[in-house]
Amino acid sequence: MGHDETGNRQEDDEMICALTANEQSLLQQKLRELPETMPPREVWNRIREQAEAEGIFKRATASRRRMWFVGSGLAATVLLAVLNLTLMQTQPESVVVPQNLPTNTAALTTLQTLMVQSRELERDLRSLPTEPRVMRASTVATISDLEDRIAAIDYQLNDPDVKMTPGDRELFWRERVRLMNSLLQLRYAQAQRAAF
Amino acid sequence: MSKFADIQIDPAIVKRAAQGDSRAHEIIYRAFATPVYSICLRFTKVPAHAEDLVQETFIEVMRSIARFRGEAALGSWIRRIAVSKALMFLRSAWTKRGQSLADDWHDVTEGAVQAHGVSGRPDDAMDLDAALANLPDVARAVVWLHDVEGFTHKEIAGLMGKTESFSKSQLSRAYMRLRPMLEDARQETQPEGAVVRSY
Repeated sequence: MGHDETGNRQEDDEMICALTANEQSLLQQKLRELPETMPPREVWNRIREQAEAEGIFKRATASRRRMWFVGSGLAATVLLAVLNLTLMQTQPESVVVPQNLPTNTAALTTLQTLMVQSRELERDLRSLPTEPRVMRASTVATISDLEDRIAAIDYQLNDPDVKMTPGDRELFWRERVRLMNSLLQLRYAQAQRAAF
Repeated sequence: MSKFADIQIDPAIVKRAAQGDSRAHEIIYRAFATPVYSICLRFTKVPAHAEDLVQETFIEVMRSIARFRGEAALGSWIRRIAVSKALMFLRSAWTKRGQSLADDWHDVTEGAVQAHGVSGRPDDAMDLDAALANLPDVARAVVWLHDVEGFTHKEIAGLMGKTESFSKSQLSRAYMRLRPMLEDARQETQPEGAVVRSY
């Protein structure tokens, strides 16, 4: 929000006489701590069906296909190299993060780098103490939300029926690393709080 | 600011979504579904209505994301769409009942409030969630937009097609209804023997 909006809010607050500034601040804090609710899983299916019926995704697929065809020879070579990566061809269905990736990051592709990062984040996460039994509701909701989002990505990455281009796969891995980072930061802060 | 602001999406994913990539859209949905659903549920109180609004919101996101220029955060943009859809729903509900925005305080009688476990006495244990749910729709929406989402009264007035005074008046009335809850919270945090200020 800009300075004008901040000024407007101050004026707004001065106009509200029903609560003191402290009371209003306390109320806002309590409201923000109210837990969030996840929508049922079938909502995405309904959205996807409507989007497909309206042709929103279909148009995109055609457009992307055109982009692939107009790609340069160099891009095609890179694509073939990526497609030939053994780690992608032999990725086990039940394990998302391959364990046999090289550790020399200079030799890694972007996708491999993301996989290594993901594996390291999982290792860091495992090294943290177990979750405290008493947690703030908002923290529980946030952790649960992050875990659900990671699980949804894992499902896509592991489902043999889901056909992905290398670009898609990289996109999913990038998002997985980002979410794992958020989860690690949250769990780390939680562990620090529990220690004091 | 609400949780919308905490969610970051890789610009590459937004770009892919703008090209209509279904997987990029799914990532965006997974990231924002919970805050969108929560705000819709907060406004409508009915899960089925909230689910419909989530669907309408994300379909709108899919249709419009190619026009999203990234000047504001993606979360703020999606939040505005969700709020707009939720307010549109409330407006249609009021219209169906033949009511105007201003008079839905009549829906909430003292008896109805107490029946839901919320009374006006400060020494009663009250749940903020229940108290909020028992506010009239429009007042609840104003409280949420102002105190959680950080909208100004001018912005709320614009969204609701009303004046700033209307928004301020709704908030003030809602505060009066919610104030007893704060007494409880203060009493819980006061050390033994401390004087609790009365209002």
